[in-house]
Amino acid sequence: MIGIISYLVFFTTVASILGIAVLGLNLQWGNTGLFNGGVVASFGAGAYGTLMLGGPAQDGHLGGFGLFYPLALLGGMLAAGVLAWIVGKLTLRLRHDYLAIATFGVAVAFENVMRNATSITGGAQGIRGFERPLRDVLGDGFTYNAVFLAGVLVVLLLVYVFLERLTVSPFGRLLRAIREDETAARSLGKSPDRIRLISFVTGSVIIGLAGGLYGTFYAFVSPQDVLPILTFQIWAMLIVGGAGNTRGALAGAFLIWGAWTFSGWALSRFAPVEAQLYTGSIQFVLIGMVIVGMLLWRPQGLFPERLIVSQPGRNREKTQVEGFT
Amino acid sequence: MIQHLVDGILVGSFLSLGAIGLTMVMHILRFANFSHAELLSIGAYCALVFDKLFESVLPVLSTKFGPLSITGALAVSILISMAVTGFTAVLIDRLIFRRVRQKGGELSMVFASFGMALVIRNIIGLVFGLSSELYSRDIAFAMVLSRDPLLLVKPDQVFVLFAALIIMFGLYLVLSRTTFGFSLRAIAENPSLAQVHGVNLRRMVAAVWIIGGALGAIAGVFYGLSYQITPVMGRDLVLPIFAATIVGGIGSVYGAVLGGFIVGVASNLAPVVLPSGYSPSVPFLMILAVLLVRPNGLFGEARA
Amino acid sequence: MKTLLTVAAFAAGVSALSTGAQAQDCTTKIGATLPTSVDWGRPIAEVAQFAVDQVNEAGGAAGCQIEMVLRDTQVDPKVGVDAAKALVDLEGVNVLLGAVSSGVSMPILSSVTVPGGVMQMSCCSSSTAFTKLSEEGKTDGLWFRTFATTAVQSAMGAKVAADKGYGSIAILYKNDDWGQDMARLIAADFAAAGIKVTSSVAVNDGQPSYRAEVTKALGGEPEALYLALYPNEGTSAVREWLSLGGTQNMILANSLKSDEFRDNVGLQYLGNALGTDTASPRVASADAFKTTYVEKFGSEPNGPGLANSFDAAMIALLAMEAAGKDASGKDIAASVAKVTDPDGTPVTADVAGFKKASETLAGGGTVKYQGATGDVRFDANGDVSAPAVVWKFTDSGVDEVEYLSLGEVDAFIASLKK
Repeated sequence: MIGIISYLVFFTTVASILGIAVLGLNLQWGNTGLFNGGVVASFGAGAYGTLMLGGPAQDGHLGGFGLFYPLALLGGMLAAGVLAWIVGKLTLRLRHDYLAIATFGVAVAFENVMRNATSITGGAQGIRGFERPLRDVLGDGFTYNAVFLAGVLVVLLLVYVFLERLTVSPFGRLLRAIREDETAARSLGKSPDRIRLISFVTGSVIIGLAGGLYGTFYAFVSPQDVLPILTFQIWAMLIVGGAGNTRGALAGAFLIWGAWTFSGWALSRFAPVEAQLYTGSIQFVLIGMVIVGMLLWRPQGLFPERLIVSQPGRNREKTQVEGFT
Repeated sequence: MIQHLVDGILVGSFLSLGAIGLTMVMHILRFANFSHAELLSIGAYCALVFDKLFESVLPVLSTKFGPLSITGALAVSILISMAVTGFTAVLIDRLIFRRVRQKGGELSMVFASFGMALVIRNIIGLVFGLSSELYSRDIAFAMVLSRDPLLLVKPDQVFVLFAALIIMFGLYLVLSRTTFGFSLRAIAENPSLAQVHGVNLRRMVAAVWIIGGALGAIAGVFYGLSYQITPVMGRDLVLPIFAATIVGGIGSVYGAVLGGFIVGVASNLAPVVLPSGYSPSVPFLMILAVLLVRPNGLFGEARA
Repeated sequence: MKTLLTVAAFAAGVSALSTGAQAQDCTTKIGATLPTSVDWGRPIAEVAQFAVDQVNEAGGAAGCQIEMVLRDTQVDPKVGVDAAKALVDLEGVNVLLGAVSSGVSMPILSSVTVPGGVMQMSCCSSSTAFTKLSEEGKTDGLWFRTFATTAVQSAMGAKVAADKGYGSIAILYKNDDWGQDMARLIAADFAAAGIKVTSSVAVNDGQPSYRAEVTKALGGEPEALYLALYPNEGTSAVREWLSLGGTQNMILANSLKSDEFRDNVGLQYLGNALGTDTASPRVASADAFKTTYVEKFGSEPNGPGLANSFDAAMIALLAMEAAGKDASGKDIAASVAKVTDPDGTPVTADVAGFKKASETLAGGGTVKYQGATGDVRFDANGDVSAPAVVWKFTDSGVDEVEYLSLGEVDAFIASLKK
């Protein structure tokens, strides 16, 4: 029983961290319509930034400043933000399939630099030896994980509330206006380029925050953590959950990560011994089918975007789902 | 240096073949198809099966053509594989993509294709095993074209390049001279208007998939001939092919051809300029550079 | 010899059936997190299961049959860590085999096995970061790996090149933690041995073509080529290398000791290729692993990490046997020394060997496990050192060209440092 609780705490922690990243992406895509194919670059910048700033001094690579943890985490977020600002400046004017590939390329280049710039980032070996905050007080075991989960949930709640507020604020309306009709927004004297950049950077900082928490939780990060599969996982969470809907984005994170891990567990448990060696491939087939199946069954996601009507009584007739246009 | 350039052009030839199919699908169905490179895997494995089959049934066919490693068996297998892969592409569209298209948006399609890529890749891995396969285990030695500067070229690669160029030219004729070609363009520009004028949309979509699948199959076999066939070759090729498509501009067949060569040359020149560890980033830096100058690719048109 | 072994194994099997049957009502689970969805990962998992089967045939470990619960890591750290956590929490394992990639093993170690007090034994994680982590006291003695440190491999590579009299050499290495380590070490060792490195080229995973990398390595017109690659990209790169007229003087790291690589490149081109590896000790029973493996799989155990994976599973199970029933992960980890004791009773890597080990341990003795990779001996950081061997490919598998005892290896490494 204690085993199950301990595992659930662990699972919930990872799912919540991924959930934070999904929320960041939701701001970019769900609310602003920016097709960010390089989620993992922001995530990685957050993780690397946090561990390099907060970790102990290491031979052979930069970092190890041993900063006070919250400062290190902020530094990681800042790194993600700065990267996003540069990328955004260069690419945000592109049409969205072009934007997706361009940002995807940035993420591949990011992984490449982490892997090859050994003297700065530790190279393929990654960054190890990070002391998790409060470990002296809480030890290493279940208590630590439980407290860490509580911390992650608090952060998740803060991000959630921030984004919910943002969506109903005038700024949120502006984001959707740009998403729906850029020319109209421009004609009202708004600057879509600037607004889009703000949204992109904000989203990336949130994704970087998730990355920082992820690196902290594992006390390790390496180029293997920033492969494109993570971008796909986070996107799948958003699409299945429902783009444009904060709650949907969160539900998607738990659902997809649950399906991803549960399928492995179920196969190891119930597949016959002769098939055990093939479960890895079978699991990927199942994951692929779940995603395709979800898109066939409920393409707008589990929780479609609700249209927020800022002045009740008007525009009632416009009830159509806005998620995809 | 000149060697890297020539190598790049040779590598570019199968990237181009792959990119042509992708650019047509992306243009007409308006979605980034991440499973397109899996058609190359399907084609390569399908040809492998028939190749082995013919060689065991009709040993006559297993003699090689001159200095090439292509045998009669493989040549016939390529044709069969083109047909099989083309129809597989149509089948996947009918079963999956068309249904997703009817219910969801562009992004649903992108993710459905990503999901399909996972499914196809791993089914191939389950059926054929995860190790690599070869059409022929003999090593085709390179011909020395010039000693100074040293320039080496493999006969197979030259064949692949010329075959690819002939196929591209054939496709160009079809697209620019036939009613079919005009209908296809009409569909891409304005689907509703084209239908009003009596173009059968469903049939045209099927035709695009068949062309994409058949070209993908050739590209897959050519790739396998030059290197090796693995279940994950689709994963390794999808990004360079995307890069070729984007650099060329979505919807432009000529752009895809040129894009393929540009990406091929760029990735072959990369290790000259950068430490070779960085070479996977090079196609993307190319894309970024091209898009900064031309936001719709070299030959792409702005589209709302 | 072979018949004798077979008879011994058979006899052991029969006695296991007759005597072992009483205490067999219980099952102990051990966990394995290995990348079964990757080409070189699946055989590694297969051979671990093979070790478990043999132990079960010998009557199980610590009085119980062993069930290995296998999870795929997908070479994705998140997935691997989650799988490990599920194995520890839900299946209650005290012993975890895996992972293969250091990038997956490391977060498992820091966030699952060390906090959970579970022994982790990896077959193939080679990163030097583990040694440093252990030196910092962060592994609690729970971490072991049967992959001999890269230092031995690289020193042997330099020795082969020096013995063959190569004056210049190019290096192609896999661009991951292992390859980067290898490239760095071997470049230094070549330099120390007075051999000029013309170029050292990183080969990335999953590239459509390695033509450019190979052309670059060819550029310096080296007399020989050193390869620290896996069979998949190794095949591609070497075929390319040969077709462009590159030399057939090759030195291969142990990861290329693979039938797939030999067959796909062609034996006729590998006549001058010499490989290095850690070796079995020179005792009559050392071929036990090879013999049983050939019986089971019909080919020699050639492939990256196979022997290491077998030893990892075997040592873990021997340690469980030594620690006794219901031992904790820490107890089992502490018992590893009892089964890899240089002064202990030598036992072979098969059913008979495991039975002999059980008897010895029951009588309070210690055991020297003579594994598939040699006399495995762990140091305080869980690292292993072993004798070394130089090999070449043959029709049926590989043949040994030269054997170096642990002392000779150490002496050569020391001579390079001067």
